[in-house]
Amino acid sequence: MQSLIARSAFVRSQAARVPVVRTFASSAARFQATPAEKPVLQKEFKIYRWNPDQPAEKPTLQSYTIDLNQCGPMILDALIKIKNEIDPTLTFRRSCREGICGSCAMNINGQNTLACLCRIERDSGKDSKIYPLPHMYIVKDLVPDLTLFYKQYKSIEPYLKNDNPPQGREFLQSQEDRRKLDGMYECILCACCSTSCPSYWWNQDVYLGPATLMAAYRWIADSRDTYKAERKEKLQNEMSLYRCHTIFNCARTCPKGLNPAQAIAKLKLELAAE
Amino acid sequence: MSSAVVVRSLVNRNVASAVVRKSFRPLALQVRHAHQDTAYVPGGPIYKGTVNDPTTFPPPNRSHGSYHWAFERLLSASLIPMTAAAYVTSGTNYPVLDGILGMSLIVHSHIGFDSIVVDYLHKRKFPVLGPITSWTLRAVTVAALVGVYQFNTNDIGLTELIAKVWHA
Repeated sequence: MQSLIARSAFVRSQAARVPVVRTFASSAARFQATPAEKPVLQKEFKIYRWNPDQPAEKPTLQSYTIDLNQCGPMILDALIKIKNEIDPTLTFRRSCREGICGSCAMNINGQNTLACLCRIERDSGKDSKIYPLPHMYIVKDLVPDLTLFYKQYKSIEPYLKNDNPPQGREFLQSQEDRRKLDGMYECILCACCSTSCPSYWWNQDVYLGPATLMAAYRWIADSRDTYKAERKEKLQNEMSLYRCHTIFNCARTCPKGLNPAQAIAKLKLELAAE
Repeated sequence: MSSAVVVRSLVNRNVASAVVRKSFRPLALQVRHAHQDTAYVPGGPIYKGTVNDPTTFPPPNRSHGSYHWAFERLLSASLIPMTAAAYVTSGTNYPVLDGILGMSLIVHSHIGFDSIVVDYLHKRKFPVLGPITSWTLRAVTVAALVGVYQFNTNDIGLTELIAKVWHA
């Protein structure tokens, strides 16, 4: 310890005498070095294009090739790069780029997922095909019309309904009751599950679809909600809930790793048990 | 039930057209055009009501809802032990079991086929073909029930037939 202090005092006195240029460079030529050139890794993206301004023209797949080493790791990065550098007319929704807004839901290589959570396969031999969410009306390119999806979400009244809220304090909920909502409240309504469901493809005007049904069950399972009976009664028909044939595409595709199929199964069981 | 839905959709359409008429009053021609364009098509690009209206639910009916589902599940589950029982016993010794098995199989198939009709040929989308298919299905189911009854009472019965064909 003492020797350390002595040494630092020595260094200080030396530094005071001889001005030394401090540098991190270990060799003289270091500052002249050029960054290592990454090899060019060309990858082809085939993207669904349809322009509402030319409604008579059929939708086509347009091909774009970009260098993956000059691009971020996710599909959304590639889309943004294409839009910035190659084709500014390419249209898609995006916002948060971290999988919490649900805007960039699309069908990538045959699977509905969020472009911002989907890694680009770094295999330049294979192309990546990007389509909008399947079986939806298309506004333009990769932008589907989600109006009906939102109308259906509104129809299940996705908010707490309780005629006797506690006065002057917050709603209390036991930890067990709170745990029942785990795996459901995280849903970001990206519509990946609903648009992967064949039943929703054929009957989306009457069948609510996995996302909306999971949201419905989220409020039925909530211990603070007192309108459970009314919520369940609404689903007592052939179409709204029972068009689910347990295909499980919803659970398989969910980019957030949730399980709408399980929520629907519990919903059916609760309806049958009451 | 269907008439109530029709009335509701008519009301919605009238409300929608009234709103349209209010905003485009000077252009009566355009109103009529808009009204024709916004006629609701099941599963089509035209939605009922405005974009801010929630979708509606069919009138609640438990026999189409949870009762139907529970019955279908219980029937499917009970078919497993029934099939196993028919495998170990013979239809001649237990004709009632044979009869119940035959009936359950037909009801099970009827529910399955009916589900297909509702999925793909529902009458809201196929006003002619839908009812034709579902009534044909009902007729076929009744005919099958009669056939199984006749076969089980006057002939060797379902289980014995399958056993015979199996060994043939």
